Amino acid sequence: MQNERVTDSGTPPRADAHPFVSPSLFVDITTITVDPGYVEAAARRAADPSATPPRATTALALTALLALGGIWGVAAAQTRDRAPAAARIRASLVEEAQRRTSATDRLAAEQDRLRRETAAAREAALRQSTAGRALSDELAKLELAAGGARVRGPGLVVTLDDAEMAGDDTENRITDSDLQNVVNALWAAGAEAVTVNDRRIGSLTAIREAGEAILVDYRPVSPPYVVRAVGDPDDLEPAFVDSPTGRRFRTYVEAFGLRFDVDRAERLDLPGSETSRLRHATPAGTKGAP
Amino acid sequence: MIPGIALVLGVVLGLLLQPSVPLWLQPYLPIAVVAALDAVFGGVRALLDKIFDDKVFVVSFVSNALLAALLVFLGDQLGVGGQLSTAVIVVLGIRIFQNLAAIRRHLFRA
Repeated sequence: MQNERVTDSGTPPRADAHPFVSPSLFVDITTITVDPGYVEAAARRAADPSATPPRATTALALTALLALGGIWGVAAAQTRDRAPAAARIRASLVEEAQRRTSATDRLAAEQDRLRRETAAAREAALRQSTAGRALSDELAKLELAAGGARVRGPGLVVTLDDAEMAGDDTENRITDSDLQNVVNALWAAGAEAVTVNDRRIGSLTAIREAGEAILVDYRPVSPPYVVRAVGDPDDLEPAFVDSPTGRRFRTYVEAFGLRFDVDRAERLDLPGSETSRLRHATPAGTKGAP
Repeated sequence: MIPGIALVLGVVLGLLLQPSVPLWLQPYLPIAVVAALDAVFGGVRALLDKIFDDKVFVVSFVSNALLAALLVFLGDQLGVGGQLSTAVIVVLGIRIFQNLAAIRRHLFRA
């Protein structure tokens, strides 16, 4: 039986011991591209012209082609299906997060209401005696100083926002330390009460980052970030705008396209922060409660 | 003509029926796709070389697909499944390109 090396480049076949086993793997990969089986079968037919392929193998070849097409179809269908599946999972996670956030919001509102009721009940109880009245006044003064009471007054509104071409990372974005700097600069400029997106900054309030979200008082806030500060606008505005932070942000506006607006406000109404948080005590059921 | 119809019919069947591929078989699907591409282009090239043979076509496709899957399986067990998949795809990819070049020379004489 005559075996012929088939090469694309037309180079003469090497005199190997076996025509299809060569020590040079990469030469073989790139030169013997037609399946050696075809060459052998052709040689066999050439040697014996009467050996025509039987019908069974033709049918087999058609079946193989059918299977081949089937593989492509299934692969295409799989690839098409998988992308929406990933998107679906992400959408359901987003929905879950939003549901939980709204549940937390509802609970926070409930807590707020209960705290107001407690404060009102305490106030009513204290008002019944002279000593109680003195205590109540003292408490009001302390709460104001600690940032626990609602306050109102003139002040500044500082609006910060990410640049329009914000990337996926912190590039061109407002970060937690930016907000911290702005709040600290406002304190330094003489602000008496500060909120970030309507969350009052008290003595125990943290501004920090978790993942890519900024948390104020452990609650996520999203841009634009509106920082409200109560204080005398005539003192507050120049002191804040000329502070190192204010100057730096004006540079940011020019360099990165961040938004940084400072506006005066005649009247701001800021909510109180949570000052009497229980840290060690947990409810022991209704029975033992006073 | 008839082989082409069979191929298109296979694609349509695969798209329409969408048999669920079991999870353990899914890593081998891309390999099977590339092996199938190699078999088809090899077959067309042999056809143009006038040495096409039904039996060789079936045997080469089945054995190539099995061997490729076996290599990837072995690689998975050894922790180099990704690299062996790459190796299989590179070798088959080179062959597909060479066969495509041969087909092009046959058809366009260029």
